[in-house]
Amino acid sequence: MSSPATSGATVRTDKGGPRRVDASMDLLNQILREPVDPDYARLSRQPARPRTRAGWRLALVLVVAGALFAVAALQTNRAAPVQATERAELVERIQAAETEQDTLRAQVDDLDGQIGALRAVALGDDGSSRATEAQIDRLGPAVGQGPVTGPGVVVVVDDAPSTSSDARDQVLDLDLQVLANGLWQAGAEAVSINGHRLSGLTAIRGAGDAITVDYRSLTRPYRVEAVGDPRTLQARLADSPAGAWWNDLASNRGMTYQTSDAGRLALDSDPGITLRYARAVGR
Amino acid sequence: MIPLVGLAVGVVLGLLLEPTLPTVLQPYLPIAIVAALDALFGAFRAYLEGTFTDRVFVVSFVSNVLIAALIVFVGDQIGVGSQLSTGVVVVLGIRIFTNVAAIRRILFHA
Repeated sequence: MSSPATSGATVRTDKGGPRRVDASMDLLNQILREPVDPDYARLSRQPARPRTRAGWRLALVLVVAGALFAVAALQTNRAAPVQATERAELVERIQAAETEQDTLRAQVDDLDGQIGALRAVALGDDGSSRATEAQIDRLGPAVGQGPVTGPGVVVVVDDAPSTSSDARDQVLDLDLQVLANGLWQAGAEAVSINGHRLSGLTAIRGAGDAITVDYRSLTRPYRVEAVGDPRTLQARLADSPAGAWWNDLASNRGMTYQTSDAGRLALDSDPGITLRYARAVGR
Repeated sequence: MIPLVGLAVGVVLGLLLEPTLPTVLQPYLPIAIVAALDALFGAFRAYLEGTFTDRVFVVSFVSNVLIAALIVFVGDQIGVGSQLSTGVVVVLGIRIFTNVAAIRRILFHA
């Protein structure tokens, strides 16, 4: 492209003329200038070739070309509806499962309400019964049987932002166990991880790559909510062994560890808590 | 006449026989078809310009299809299969458009 002789305006001919210096490199020019195989022109310039009897080759190649189009079109059209139906089926199953879950949850709430009503009726209305009711109301939220709302702290933890798959840079089930125990120790009344309420029966475990709470797997980042006295909870957590553990992970491993106060948290009850033991009054 | 009949026979054969392509070859079918289209349009233009030779057509068709599939195959092996497919489609697409434009000029003088 430097000297006038090699400028883009030069039309290259098949024979004669100096070969351009960039002849082997101007890909786009060549695509635009030689869209037809140059051999067509070369062979047709040869004088009076006897017409070959290669018509059948031409026909064969064209048959192959037609078959190629047909097969490709068939395959594309055959694969599309199958994939669409599979997808629709999966979506349908997911929606059915979600609806069933909602009904079951409503049923659980309904039965819980019935249990409460029956208990109130059975206890009657004397002094000791009222004391028992008060005790139930106090302990219910603490063990995770009832929903809890109130101020508290939110702790957000996450894996270190490294690309390595080093397990030491990732939040483990042990780390979440330590954090949950630290929050209890700091005076939390109710704790939940990613919306799953913890109770005395909750298991925080690792299963493969994921951490599960009561066998429901969590996705990162982990948001631990704790209802408790907002004036002391965060400070006591920082003083606890859990605070030291997590400060170490945050400073040495680069994991995310953020605590913040929350004015109002609403934690659901633990669906794993069920009535396991009951006895008729007066027997 | 032979070309059109051949194409039609091929389409009918493909539709009737419904040959199943081995799964190994399936990714290369679309790109082979683009290469085949390029050879077909090139041949049609050469035919209109009066320079058509069936030997060149057969050789260019077969080599186009094979090379396009080979490029994608090599790309798949070294991890740039989809990018190379895009490249092949772009290059062949430019050629197809250029040829179709030339065909249009010859046929309609416009």
